[in-house]
Amino acid sequence: MTRTLMTATCLLALLPMVSGCKIVKNPDPNDAEHAAAQMTDEERMAALVAEVYEPKLLPYMDEKAQEIGAVLPAIASDLNAAGESLGIPKASEGSPWNFVAKGEGVVIASNRESRAAKLEVDVNGDNEADLSIQLGPVIKGTALRDATSFFVFTDFRDQIEFAKLARALNDQAGAAIEIPEGDLVGQTVSFTGAFSLPRQSDAILLVPVHLAVGG
Amino acid sequence: MNIHRRLLVSALALGIAGALPSFAAAEGLIAIITPSHDNPFFKAEAIGAEAKAKELGYDTVVMVHDDDANKQSELFDSAIASGAKAIILDNAGADATVSAVQRAKDAGIPSFLIDREITASGVAVSQIVSNNYQGAQVGAEEFVTLMGEEGKYAELLGRESDTNAGIRSSGYHDVIDQYPDMEMVAQQSANWSQTEAYTVMETMLQANPDIKGVISGNDTMAMGAWAALKAAGREDVIVVGFDGSNDVRDSILEGGIKATVLQPAYRQAQLAVEQADMYIKTGSTGAEEKQLMDCVLINGDNASNLETFALAN
Repeated sequence: MTRTLMTATCLLALLPMVSGCKIVKNPDPNDAEHAAAQMTDEERMAALVAEVYEPKLLPYMDEKAQEIGAVLPAIASDLNAAGESLGIPKASEGSPWNFVAKGEGVVIASNRESRAAKLEVDVNGDNEADLSIQLGPVIKGTALRDATSFFVFTDFRDQIEFAKLARALNDQAGAAIEIPEGDLVGQTVSFTGAFSLPRQSDAILLVPVHLAVGG
Repeated sequence: MNIHRRLLVSALALGIAGALPSFAAAEGLIAIITPSHDNPFFKAEAIGAEAKAKELGYDTVVMVHDDDANKQSELFDSAIASGAKAIILDNAGADATVSAVQRAKDAGIPSFLIDREITASGVAVSQIVSNNYQGAQVGAEEFVTLMGEEGKYAELLGRESDTNAGIRSSGYHDVIDQYPDMEMVAQQSANWSQTEAYTVMETMLQANPDIKGVISGNDTMAMGAWAALKAAGREDVIVVGFDGSNDVRDSILEGGIKATVLQPAYRQAQLAVEQADMYIKTGSTGAEEKQLMDCVLINGDNASNLETFALAN
């Protein structure tokens, strides 16, 4: 008798948990919105990046990538003309040019000690570095965001949220890099990535979305 | 009673008419509303917008809201009542401004925002703002270099209701916090104000006499901080501002403040008027609503090329 009562009590106690499971199986669409509202800007942008990075952003980068061997001489002769023909269209008048480029080159120098680690790469065979490939974990700038035309500033709450998007993209790109240890000097690397160029004389700091050692 | 009220209404109408110029120009009226011109940044915006509007054949009325959302609301009412063709606005609060801009939109008057964003999109036609995050990162990189990547520093924050205060601080720290030997010993708002920054800086100095640098959310606060440091005989402290004002330019050229970041305020205001003109004539600006304009580092190398928030090449 006592045992029956106890069993019944246990079953009753379990009931809310069982019904709780049903809610999880059939989530209310409002729950997702509610959850998003509870997140910080960082968390919300990290979630957005996790959602679009592989299915959308990587194919976009592959589609837009121009040969670095064509991009560099074009920039050297006329940045605006290079931007018009090979760059991503500017979002607004005061924006710098953004480029998506792919190619390969030889590592001339590298710094893998810094938190902002990078490889200096020669792509035209003159033994001088033409660009730096950022390896992170600290990746500078907003090139990945600004070269991606499906991220539109108007769709974001404000500059703060939009800045966190750039940061989340950089973090994702940095985390995805898998290359061997060491200075890699003299080795060939192939890459696809984005960079911003406010002025013709500025150094090119590429954020890679694909990076591999060996030609 | 009735006559009395009518008289009052007429008096009001006359008052408005008196405050506004006559509609002599062919293209109609553009209202330009900014914070107080005490800060030369906002004055440059007003001058830039006014010059471009006149060039394009508009009449202008220039008003200031003094960062008071209620006053801004009244200014919107008077711009609506006077039948303005467009409103150029540097607003008095990201949240509080949305309803005023919506009211103008409902009355058929498009608003073109500069410098500061509002928290809604689809209400204003354009929101053209400086890329404060980019600018703050550029300023912070210079600050870290000047500091030799180490030492105690203080940060002066802007007005909390203004998105630009938060975004600049965020941009500063995304750079500075990557240097473990940079230590922030004080962080306080001085509400964009020169006099407030002077007082805050005095207090910060008393609590942290070994401070090596100050990074400020704008130039007026940097000027206030610099005055306090000078008064305390601490001209060795590295100060970096944000805006690119002529005051800070002169200080840089005299070896005082070390650097600032130029916001292209003059061009930004002109661009807003150009987009307003295009919208009035064609129904579209041809641009996205929200637009970012890059900022430029100003230091001893290029300060002499700076004049009224524009950099000569």
